This record gives sequence, C-alpha cells and structure tokens, in this order.
Amino acid sequence: MAKYILTRIVKACLSIFVVVSIVIVMLFTMIPRTKVMDLDTSYRKMTGDNKTVYRLMRYDQLGYLDYVRLSDMCKSEYDDVTACMINGSTENKAVIEKYESNGYVIEYLRNGTAYGYHDYNILELVWNFWSNLIVVDNVNAVQDENNPDLERKIYIGTDYNGVPAVMGSGTTHKYLIYFDSTFPFIHQNWITFNFGISYPTKAGSLTTDVINEGQGAQVSILQTFPTGVEMESPYNQHTAKYKYTLDHLDMQKFNDNYADCTSYYESPSMVNTSYIFGIISLIIAYVVALPAGMSMARNKDQLIDKIGVVFINVVIAMPSLALIFFIRQIGANFGLPDKFPLLGFKDIRSYIVPMIILAVLSMPSLMTWMRRYMIDQSNSDYVKFARAKGLSQREIFSKHIMKNAIIPIVNGIPASVILCISGALITESAFAIPGMGKMLPDAISKMNNNMVITLTFIFAALSIFSILIGDLLMVVVDPRIQLATKKGGKKNGK
Amino acid sequence: MENNNIPVEETVTDEIDMNDPSLFEMAIADDSESEHITAPVYSYWGSVFRRFFSSKIAIAMMIVAATIILFAFIQPMFSNYSPMVAPNINNKSMHYIRPFKMAGYPFGTDDVGNSLFDALWAGTKNSLIIALVSTLICEVVGIIVGMFWGFSKKVDAVMIEVYNVLSNIPTTLIAMILVYTMGGGFAQLIFALCVTSWIGTAYFIRVQVMIIRDREYNLASQCLGTPTWKIIINNIFPYLISVIITSVSRDVPSFISYEVALSFMGVGISQEYASLGRMVQKYAAYMTTASYLFWIPVATSAVICVSLYIVGQVLADASDPRTHMV
Repeated sequence: MAKYILTRIVKACLSIFVVVSIVIVMLFTMIPRTKVMDLDTSYRKMTGDNKTVYRLMRYDQLGYLDYVRLSDMCKSEYDDVTACMINGSTENKAVIEKYESNGYVIEYLRNGTAYGYHDYNILELVWNFWSNLIVVDNVNAVQDENNPDLERKIYIGTDYNGVPAVMGSGTTHKYLIYFDSTFPFIHQNWITFNFGISYPTKAGSLTTDVINEGQGAQVSILQTFPTGVEMESPYNQHTAKYKYTLDHLDMQKFNDNYADCTSYYESPSMVNTSYIFGIISLIIAYVVALPAGMSMARNKDQLIDKIGVVFINVVIAMPSLALIFFIRQIGANFGLPDKFPLLGFKDIRSYIVPMIILAVLSMPSLMTWMRRYMIDQSNSDYVKFARAKGLSQREIFSKHIMKNAIIPIVNGIPASVILCISGALITESAFAIPGMGKMLPDAISKMNNNMVITLTFIFAALSIFSILIGDLLMVVVDPRIQLATKKGGKKNGK
Repeated sequence: MENNNIPVEETVTDEIDMNDPSLFEMAIADDSESEHITAPVYSYWGSVFRRFFSSKIAIAMMIVAATIILFAFIQPMFSNYSPMVAPNINNKSMHYIRPFKMAGYPFGTDDVGNSLFDALWAGTKNSLIIALVSTLICEVVGIIVGMFWGFSKKVDAVMIEVYNVLSNIPTTLIAMILVYTMGGGFAQLIFALCVTSWIGTAYFIRVQVMIIRDREYNLASQCLGTPTWKIIINNIFPYLISVIITSVSRDVPSFISYEVALSFMGVGISQEYASLGRMVQKYAAYMTTASYLFWIPVATSAVICVSLYIVGQVLADASDPRTHMV
C-alpha cells in the first residue's frame, strides 16, 4: 500500500510537472512579449534609453531573458571595475567580447555604454521556473552589506504574544514556525513557493502574496511591538521579513531589521474566498443531492423519479452560463444582489445565490450516480435475501443498500472539490466574486503571465491530489478494495 | 404395421377416398426454401427510427432543433451580418429598439443599431459550427484511438499514463490558456476545445471496447485468424453505435456551452466573429437597461442545447439493439 501511494504521488507530481512546463513554454514563447508591456502606463510614457532599460529590467524580472548592465559584466571579471567601465578601454572590449561569445546580444545606449541580454531558450525557461520554485529559508538567506554583524542562527523563542515559536536570524522570515488563533493554528514560513512577480496588475508583489493576502481595507489591532511600543496597527508580526532599508517608523516599532510585515485585512484573501464558496456549496450539494438520488431510486419510474430525471437532464444540457444567469435573475427577483461587491463580504445575502448555483451545478452527477448505484444494488442477491427475511423496504434501503451505494460516492467527494473550482471560474466571473476563479480570466486579459502560471499550478495540483485522496478514501470506507495489485495474484483481464 | 393402419383407413374412407391422386400435388425439392427463416423482418435502422419516432418529446425537440439549425444556416446568407459593420451607429433613433416594435427588426436593435435578429442567427451559426466541427474531430479521433486503446494491451499501457496526466487537469483551464496563447480565431478555438476533449471520448470508447473485446465470438474470430483491424471494424464497431450517439449527444451541447462560457470570460472567439458567447459577453452590460439584448441569446443557447441533448439521448436509447425487443 505504501509503495502504491508513493508511485501515485510520483505520478501526480509528474503530471503537474508536465502540464505546468507546457503552460510555461506556451506562455513565454507564443504570447508576443511586446504585448506584456502594452498595459504598463509608466512604460508608455518613457522615451529613449530609459524606456529600453526599463523594458529589459522588466523582462529580466519576468523571466524572459537575462539582462546584464555594463557594471554587472565588469564585476564578474574584475575586482576593480573602474578601467572596465570606461567605454572603449581594452578591459571593456574584452569583457564585452566574452559575453558576446557566451551568446549574449550586446547593444549600446546613446552614450555608448554597452549592455547585453540573453533570451532564455525553452529548456532554460522550464529549468528557471522549477529550480526557483521551492524556497527553503536558511540562515544565509539574507546577505546585507550594511549589516555585516547579523547573527545567523535558528532558535526556539517566543513571539510577540509570548507563545513559543521557531525563529530565525539571518533568514528571510523571522518566524519559521508559529502558532496563532486562525485555522490551521500552526503555520510555517520555512518552505515557500516562489512563482515570480505579478505584472502588470499589482506590479512587483509576488503572485502568491496577491492571492494569499487579504482584500479590502486594513484592520488595525492593538499590539505590542518588540521595542515595547503598544499601538494600534494593521501589521501581522508573524509575517515579518528582513527589510534592507529601515525608515524611522520601522525603527520606532522594531529592534532589528525584521520589519517587513503584511497587514490584516477585513476581507478574506482570494484563496480563502474561493475556498469558502467551494466547501459550503459542496456541503449543500451533498446534503440535497444524496437524499434526492435515494428517493428517486426508491420510487423508480414514478413521478418523483421523472421530475428528478428532467432536472438532471436540464442542468447537464443547459450551458452553465445560461443556468447561472437564470438562477441569478430568480435570486434578483427575491431581492438578492446580482453582483457580489454590491453588499460585499459582510452581508450573508451576497453568498446565497452563488452558493446555490455552485451546488446546483455539481448536483446532477451526484444524483445520477446515487440513483444508478441504488438501483443496481437493489437487484443484488443480498437484497433479495433481506426482503425474504421480511425486512421492511425502509430498513433494506437504509441498512443494506445505502452502505454499499455510498462507497463510489465517497470516491467522488474530493473530485467534486475540483468541479467546484472549475465551475467557480464562470460563477465567480458572473458575480464578480474576488476569488481565484475570477483571477484567472482577469490575469489572462491583463497578460499577467506569472499569475496564470501560478493559478494553473494551484488548480492542477489541487485536482490531481484530490483524485488521489478520493481513491485512498475509498479504501478506508471499503476494506475489500485493493488499489495495489498483489504479486502472485491473478492479473486483471487476460 | 397393418394393424396400425386399419383404424385410420376406416375413419378416412368414411368421407374421402385418400387414394385419389387428384387430392395431392407433387412437391418440388427447393433448397433455397429450406434456408428461409420465417421470423418477422428486422431492420436495424428501421427499428431505430420506429422507436425514436414513438417518443413525442423527441419529435417536438427535433422540430425545435431542426428549425433553429436551418434558420441559423440560412438566415445569415441573406442578412450578411458582421459585428464589425454598424450602418446605424450614428442614427440614435435606431438604437435600443425593443422587440416587436418595428417591422424588419423582430428582436429589436442593439447599442449600435444592428438588428438583434440578424446578430442572433449569425452568432448561433458560428457557435453551432464550432460545436459541430469540434464534435466531429473529437469523435473521429476519440473513436479511432479508443478502439485501438481498448483492444491492444501495449497501447493501453502507454495511453493510460497519458490519460492519467491529462484527465486530472480541469479542461476549462487548459482551453482558456490555449485560446489565450494562440489567439481567438475559429481554428484556434476548435483546436483548444478538441485538444482537451478527445481523450475523454477515447477513454469512454476504450471502456466499451474492453467490455465487448473478450466475448466468445471475438475470441473465435481471433482464433480463426481474423486481423485485428477487421475484428474492430466488423465485430466491435457496430456494437458501439449507441455508445457513440450517447457521446455525441453529450458533446454538442457541452461544446456550445464551452464556447459561450469561454467567450463570456473574454478568452473565446475574437470580436470580429459573431457568436452566442460573444453576444452574451457584450450584452451583459445592458442587463438592467435593455435586458432583451442579454436574455434572447442566453435563452437561445439554452434552447439549442436542451433540444439537441434530448434528441441525442432518445436517439441513443433507440439505437441500442437491446431496446428493440418487444
């Protein structure tokens, strides 16, 4: 069993690797890179050398190419760069020639200063992404010339609330493992994912931060800072990162350089928003669809069954967009908002219609399966025997058929989480819900390639692992099922 | 012998003389006669259509679907509608005419004074073309691959891994990224829809082939030395007709809804083409001010999908030979 799970996990990782790599190559090679800059307003206003340098720096940041300034080139060759920095000197020429022979394109600014760039090929693009993806925080992560005496250690200390935490010095994050009152109560900053920066929307911040940080206005909380100052501040001290240049406000609050905190916000992040909608609608779907499927099976070919079949067929056949708008219109007639931001996160009425829609979208498959399994089981021998023993129809259904019919349904539970997410793509767009589902079309329309890659990675990983969990869950529910084929046993088929 | 014959002779001779040769006719030994089986005449397609036309809902839905399809393919020939051409754009009195208010504009006009009636049929036509071509490609590729996939162990070993990689990824996601990277032309959109869907069809066919593959008549055929491709075409393919119709009846509406959803999110077909999805996206802004602009395309897409789906489902039921037994 352990071996089977291991191979499944390896295969799952391989799937993610293949899909994300293909997406990376497609995005970086097939989208004209000039289009990426089109939506940058500050770039459009620039002229001359400024524009060239800005463009190359952006491309370098976004991972299209490796941009080297003359000073970078000189530093790599000489300790004393003064001679090299003079245009036309022998050192200068030598270093440029060296870079040219390494495949760099050398061009010159108007004042004659050279710069070079090297477009990454497909392999380099993929390698750069995967080699930089997982960042393990370590004591040598911070290299600050202005702070040579920085202590380098990992230790168990107490955080600003006096709760024990694993802390670091010389690491990027101050708190590596810490506890707080929000789910899942234990958090870590040790291993983080680096998907690159978001651009041109929310330019400069990491894509993971964009989808993880709260939204809306900041919320100030009364807290004590390391210097002993007690004040109301939106800072979440657990997220403190090393800050290279401190201002006087930082110095007022912090003893050390760990002053780069994210803030508390009044509304949940994009991830959490999608998560809230996904999970609650899933619960609604199961609570409604399973009994509905059961009563359809129990009253086969009667009115209730026929109504159910019509419902299933209409929901399957109808374009999901049309269904979403129809239900939204019905909701609007009852005075419920047709856009999420109208009433926002705080009002429960914002949630009702989108959740009903998400539930309705995932109900038909559940109902069909439940009905199918129940009907199949009711023809089996053990059910006939139970009937012969004199059990009532109700007892047969609840004690015998239910237990067997529920097994395949369990397998589908994690997979329906995916359905919620991909269904949420359209629902979130239709309701303008600020979640991950809406983020994807938004990122695409803004040419935010790194964000598209991030979301692809998250969606792919979520769906692959939810299918794996579904299979494992089935083994837990039904011990007869063996996922791994035993050696020496009979092989499948012929 | 004699004793046995006596009572018979006695009873018969009372009325007719059984020895009279005029009562008998010489039978001609005909070999072809003995081959004839006196079972009721059975024709597969005849039974399929008899069964299909016995369902009133199916007939009604077929009339609806046929009307829409015919209209969608004929009307644009006369209207020559293009979303990029707006002759009435400067004539404000022609904007936002409500449905059934002016002759020649049955569904009214939109924000630039174009007839919604023309736009609707042009859009329906394009959406239908996308859905039908994608279904055709998907089914052809899916059936061919699925047949060999189900039949050959070696192909199965490779393909099941490919399937495990591809099927885990939400198809909407891949389609969106493909359209995004390749641009929103007709061919690109069809490619994006097919690339994500063919493997599902192939897998569906594979399972069906595997069920039929090991039946006795196929084993016998194999023992007699029939080549694999002949077994696939002559023994297995006819069995799959109802399965294929089921899959087609699911594909066409799902491709239409895909197109609508992708275009609504701004990653579908580009603006120079009319399509139901484009219309829904464009007119969503007028939901409160001129709601007919929005609801007519939405309702049309729903009607097409539901009617095609029901026709397909009933046809799939009817084409299953097991339902032909009376």
